[in-house]
Amino acid sequence: MRISQLLKILVAGVIAVGAVAAQADQLADIKAKGEIVFGTLGTDEPNSFIDPQTRDYVGYEIDIAKAVAKKIGVKPVFKQLAVAARIPELQQGHVDVLAASLTHNKERESQIDFALTDFITGSKVLVVKSSGVHSIADLAGKRVLTVKGGTQVPNLLRVVPTAQVITFETTQQAFQALQQGKGVAYVNDESSLYDDVHKLGPKASDYEILPQNLNVEPLAFGIRKGEPALKAVIDGELRELEASGEANRLYDKWYGKDSKLKFGPRTFKFDTDKIEDDKVTG
Amino acid sequence: MAGCGRSNALSDAMSSFHLSLLLSGPYQAMLFAGLRLSLTLLTVAFVVALPLGVLIALARLSPFVFVRGIAIVFIESQRNVPLLAHLLFWYFGAPELLPDAAKQWLYAHDVETIAAVVAITLYYAAFMSEDVRSGVRAVPSVQFEAARALGLPWFSAMRRVVLPQALRVTVPPLLSQTLNLWKDTSIATVIGTAELMYQAAKVESATFRSIEAFTFATVSYLTVSLLITALASGYSHRYPARAL
Repeated sequence: MRISQLLKILVAGVIAVGAVAAQADQLADIKAKGEIVFGTLGTDEPNSFIDPQTRDYVGYEIDIAKAVAKKIGVKPVFKQLAVAARIPELQQGHVDVLAASLTHNKERESQIDFALTDFITGSKVLVVKSSGVHSIADLAGKRVLTVKGGTQVPNLLRVVPTAQVITFETTQQAFQALQQGKGVAYVNDESSLYDDVHKLGPKASDYEILPQNLNVEPLAFGIRKGEPALKAVIDGELRELEASGEANRLYDKWYGKDSKLKFGPRTFKFDTDKIEDDKVTG
Repeated sequence: MAGCGRSNALSDAMSSFHLSLLLSGPYQAMLFAGLRLSLTLLTVAFVVALPLGVLIALARLSPFVFVRGIAIVFIESQRNVPLLAHLLFWYFGAPELLPDAAKQWLYAHDVETIAAVVAITLYYAAFMSEDVRSGVRAVPSVQFEAARALGLPWFSAMRRVVLPQALRVTVPPLLSQTLNLWKDTSIATVIGTAELMYQAAKVESATFRSIEAFTFATVSYLTVSLLITALASGYSHRYPARAL
């Protein structure tokens, strides 16, 4: 009896403390502390990685995070997280915001809130120019090469069910098979494709990356649920970056023409925190 | 309590095993297509590799040094390099040496299956030839000498007198070799040949139903292996090795 009563009191206490913590406004806490803690990967170039010279965190998400901290008027602090630890660390309050190459998807919406989408990535298709394939729909019945086990095959077959997919153990083997002419197209995620084409050197002109995405992976900052004030200030800063052209500059610096990845022009804007399920987009 | 927990875990595992995946629908079709291609690889490779193995064994026993040399080089180059490397060579390497027209023709066809058949057939022909050669050596040399003394030429003496006895002795090692051949058809998955393991992995990545997909593969490999064993033991029973 006594123990169960003690338990009840303890449980009630924990709930009460939790409720108090949840009521406290995180933005006010951040301002009181004078610093905002971003959870980041630190290993994912160009989103967040460590500059070998300065030993500081640098990258696309780091620049956005610094802009947010400046807006609030506090010092940005970066804490390195493992991929699987991101959401738990945020929920337990060890970090204030996730800036960690985080994909915004429906499953995660029940656990955390997301700021405006700040990057869109996805699988794309590299084709041999002479093959006569100019759009994803042209892949019907054609030999398409990719790697086993990833999301590439289901994504491709959902869009082009009749494509003849041949898969290999590694992306390098699939890419090798494409270069030898064993297929007309090769599917991989966008940044790897740009890297592969880059390695082809002068032969790169024989290939082209189709503009359509096979699937869409929006990346966004993660925020603890029930923190509207913090979310509003982050979204506000993202909108300001968009309006001032700074968002464009950051894209060019880390992904686009001023970077070594040389992605094509930016096709998205910092304007929504809504996501659509798996849709092929232009 | 502990026992109860265990039985719950077991029933969870059982209830999460979706047999329906294997009984009908597109995934069943994929798995059966894989099984069919695996059986095709087995049949074609066996039907070509066994006679080729016998020929190579004869070449290896030939009285001509040059022919023996070729056979030795072939056998050692095949059986001392992993099958995986052979598959990668016949898929990524060899076709690149062909003239352009032949290459275009090959790449427009099922080059994955063709490369797998070539690699597996040559590899197992080498192993089978050594089994056959050991069978030939098990036949007392007086058999060959008597056949020659009766006036049979070298090849006929081999074909009509020595080989029929040798092949009966060779059945058990050939059985092992055939079982290895059957299981090794699965390695062709690395060059994108759509055999059983390839299709099982494809079903897995599409459905996340690893247990079901690989249970199907395991049961298929086991069933066909046991059938091969039964056939070989039936053959041994019908055509026993004669007392030598």
